[in-house]
Amino acid sequence: MNSKDFNGKRIYNKVMVIDDTPTDRYIAKESIKRYSFAREVIEMNSAEEALEYLESMINTPDGLPELIFLDIQMPEMDGFDFLEKYGQLPELVQNNCIIMMLSTSLNSVDHRRAEGNRFVKRFLQKPLNRSQLAELEKAA
Amino acid sequence: METITLNKKLPGHDQMLDQQLKTHGDQIKKQSDSIMNYILVCMYLAGFALAPFYNTWTVSLEVGSLSLLAYYSTKFLLPESNLYQYVLSAVFGIFMAQYIYQMHGLFEMHFFAFIGSAILIAYQNWKLQLPLMIVVTIHHAIFGYLQYLGDGHIYFTQLEYMSLQTFIIHVALAAAIFFICGLWAYNLRKNTSESLAKTYEIVKLQEETKQKELLEAANEELKKSNLELDKFVYSVSHDLRAPLASMKGIVELSMEDTEDEMMLEHFNLLSNNIEKLDGFILDILEYSRNTRAEIKQEDINFKEITDDIINNLKYMNGSKDKIEMSVDINQKEAFLSDKSRLNIILSNLISNGIRYQNAKIDNPYIKVMIESDISGSSISIKDNGIGIKKELHNKIFDMFYRVSSQSNGSGLGLYIVKEAVGKLNGEINVISELNIGTEFRIFIPNVRQMNE
Repeated sequence: MNSKDFNGKRIYNKVMVIDDTPTDRYIAKESIKRYSFAREVIEMNSAEEALEYLESMINTPDGLPELIFLDIQMPEMDGFDFLEKYGQLPELVQNNCIIMMLSTSLNSVDHRRAEGNRFVKRFLQKPLNRSQLAELEKAA
Repeated sequence: METITLNKKLPGHDQMLDQQLKTHGDQIKKQSDSIMNYILVCMYLAGFALAPFYNTWTVSLEVGSLSLLAYYSTKFLLPESNLYQYVLSAVFGIFMAQYIYQMHGLFEMHFFAFIGSAILIAYQNWKLQLPLMIVVTIHHAIFGYLQYLGDGHIYFTQLEYMSLQTFIIHVALAAAIFFICGLWAYNLRKNTSESLAKTYEIVKLQEETKQKELLEAANEELKKSNLELDKFVYSVSHDLRAPLASMKGIVELSMEDTEDEMMLEHFNLLSNNIEKLDGFILDILEYSRNTRAEIKQEDINFKEITDDIINNLKYMNGSKDKIEMSVDINQKEAFLSDKSRLNIILSNLISNGIRYQNAKIDNPYIKVMIESDISGSSISIKDNGIGIKKELHNKIFDMFYRVSSQSNGSGLGLYIVKEAVGKLNGEINVISELNIGTEFRIFIPNVRQMNE
């Protein structure tokens, strides 16, 4: 793990945000930056792009993000499709990244699906903000 | 033809069937009547055919005409009654007597009685045999006796003497024929009306099956469109809520970027309105789900539901922390009901309690008391909040009714609660006084109780 403790507070080295909405990506990135949650935020426009990136980092595990914030509703390939493909990635990648699903969804089916998935650690409500990051930190 | 009463009482003896039977009866009557016209004419003419034998022209004219007159006048004067059929039966007897006389007692003429008896089967009424039998009997008795006494002009029979044995056989055979014809008439009618009833039942069953199929098809359509509506509502709600979430996020970030009081105030207003809109969308979603969802029956754990609700209320805008929440559950028996609707009821009422608390007092509280026994569950949610004016106690359950435009609610909350309570066959009452507090009392019957 590359995260270092800083005044008792944990900072991640790399986290990834997968969201097709620019505003939401911005909000996530800004919040993370302001809260000093992570040193680097990798923005991904789509699930496909994210998968490509992850695959390209197989041989350089340092490049893999420690945390992935995954939006559910995305065109073409949505959050759950991503999880399916993610399951086919080598274990090295899967062990490296923890996934948080981010959504405005109230649908209990979505909730259950997310929580039932072995890769998803948490289901968060948008927008990603300080208090949620603080809680994540406590729980980690 | 008189109305048919069936020996067997068929289930659902209804008007349609009676109507059909009556129509059938009328048909038979009409057919038989037209046949009788031909037969009577033939019989009338037969009288003239026999006249040359013994020069009985007057008899054939007078008796024949009288008979026909009797029949047609009865038929004409009393068309609704079937008395004319009985007259016809008697007329057959009279023609027989006429022919016997015209042939001076020729034994074979007696056969006309049996011909008449058989013809009468057409009306499918065994009672028509009776007039014929009576006329024949009276005629035989009187004329036979008179001839026996020595009246030479009677010409009843050509026999000098008939032994008792012959006589008895004669009577027995005649009775047999009348009986058989009567029986056939009766059976015919019974069979036709029974088969009519049977066909009617079959047709009715076919109709019912068709109706059932149509209903099932309509049901399937409804289920499908409900599903589509659910999907539509889901995607619309997401498309409405996602930008709101984005707005919320930006507002939060902006609030961190300034210490300017005016700006913060502006952002606060923005934030409130975003919450309002979001709450409205959530309420509409809830309402849409609530009205159309099927009522489930599951074992209810009230503690689980209330714990969940209180947990989720963390996300509600402020003020929750100040309020003292107490939950008292006394569940004596297993309670079967619809969990999601109970959730809706409790969460709406509890969040209302939070929203409408009295900011001026020191100890705002919400007391939730639930008593559950075999008859059902009594739920009480009591607070010492701002209360509701007496005049408005009925209005608060109206759709989109909000107590003040300042309030954050959408006006759907209590409406949804009332709907949910109604769907569970329960009752809801409000006890409240302005600035003192409010209590909502709900009773939900135990589904088990209702099923028993």
